[in-house]
Amino acid sequence: MENIEKRIKELFVKLFDMKPEEVTLKANLNDDLGMDSTEMVELIVALEKEFKIGIEDGEITNKHCVSDVVRIVEDKLKQ
Amino acid sequence: MKNIAVTGIGIVASPGVSKEEFWQNIKAGKSFISPITRFDASNYLSQVAGQIENLNTNHLPRRLLKKMDRFSVMALTATEEALKDAFLDLTQEDPYKIGIFTGNALGGWLYAETELRDLYVEGREGVSPYLASAWFPAAPQGQISIYYGIKGYSKTVVADKASALMAIGYAAQVIGHKKIDVALAGGTEAPVTPYALLCCSTEGSISRRPYRPFDKERNGFVIGEGAGILVLEDVEHALKRGINIYGFIKGYGSFCDGVDRIMPDPNGKGLAKAIKAALDTAGYEPEEIDYICADGVGTKWGDISETRAIKEVFGSYAKKIPVSAPKSMFGHLLGASGAVDLIITFLAMQDGVIPPTINYQTQDPECDLDYVPNKCRLKEVKKALVISRGRGGINAVLAVERR
Repeated sequence: MENIEKRIKELFVKLFDMKPEEVTLKANLNDDLGMDSTEMVELIVALEKEFKIGIEDGEITNKHCVSDVVRIVEDKLKQ
Repeated sequence: MKNIAVTGIGIVASPGVSKEEFWQNIKAGKSFISPITRFDASNYLSQVAGQIENLNTNHLPRRLLKKMDRFSVMALTATEEALKDAFLDLTQEDPYKIGIFTGNALGGWLYAETELRDLYVEGREGVSPYLASAWFPAAPQGQISIYYGIKGYSKTVVADKASALMAIGYAAQVIGHKKIDVALAGGTEAPVTPYALLCCSTEGSISRRPYRPFDKERNGFVIGEGAGILVLEDVEHALKRGINIYGFIKGYGSFCDGVDRIMPDPNGKGLAKAIKAALDTAGYEPEEIDYICADGVGTKWGDISETRAIKEVFGSYAKKIPVSAPKSMFGHLLGASGAVDLIITFLAMQDGVIPPTINYQTQDPECDLDYVPNKCRLKEVKKALVISRGRGGINAVLAVERR
């Protein structure tokens, strides 16, 4: 599961040109990482492709933290 | 009309991506039209354009760049130049008293074209979520507003090739009404894309040969890309800041032909009315005008009707006024053209140098004014007009004055 966290953090860095040290588990997607609604779409599409999962509208929003994203993806992979 | 000061100039076009480089090349009367290399243009009527080869985007974050079409990138770059030129520190200004007025004709077509291709090939998952905010005509206004935190009265003007000049005329009026103190006004256009070039070609006004406005052998225009942004200020605001003032926007006029969806009125009646309105609002007599920066679209009826309109307003004095189309050097920037022409006119007034109409060889009896052929001319210019016209009979004219 550590591997999933690493892959998700790398996605943030790659997609949004963020510094790796910014993308902490506690970082809030909107307040700390400044992500808007269109960036959320890009993130969700990328997560779906990377992990071959389906994410419904509203399941991940920019009110979440990176740790929430990791947890949601992990839960989906367990199912 | 109230005096509006011009205190900053930002230009990004094929002759230069700084004011100094651009103006040196314009005075030299060089051509900056080159073969299109960004895509295969071999099947197009026109295979050349005024292209910017060295657009520096290092000042913009990559995270932002991927959300923007080139027309927004050029607008942001020109805005940065204009703000520096005006020594305007926006953090010291009331953001609600600053506005943005940009014009363009096409929107962000390269972004739209490629994403629409992906939509049809890959389905909706293949489309960038940024398309919706990247392609639309007001995108540059939005990006400038976000980037600088500008929050005052603003507007995007879409009026074909007259967009930028109309945006500037509108901005001047909004400052005149005291709604804002400062406007970033101008235009941007990125037409060097497969679909945009196709649209220009099917319109029937694009040239297969060199772009030679007012020449008997003219057969249309050549496209060019770029952006021009000017800092317009309430005069008292500019004087209080104590910075250089290039000159003033004094008058504005705009009328429609109401004749044809592409062609202008052959007699240029709407343009003549717009010229008169610009002169009247400025309080100028026709004989006071030292230079006219022409639209010079390079089509048969575009140039004849423009010449007729000038003759109708100026009578026998018309032949004594230098009338040039500097866009013959770098192509028609469509919805951004009026801003670049206005910048050229302020630089011409500053240096006492009138830019030429290049590629001019054969006189047309129907176009018999002094078009300043091929070489710039030293001449003091105190007062000038800038003409910008769009398809469907749109006419806009600004009257300006040196400090």
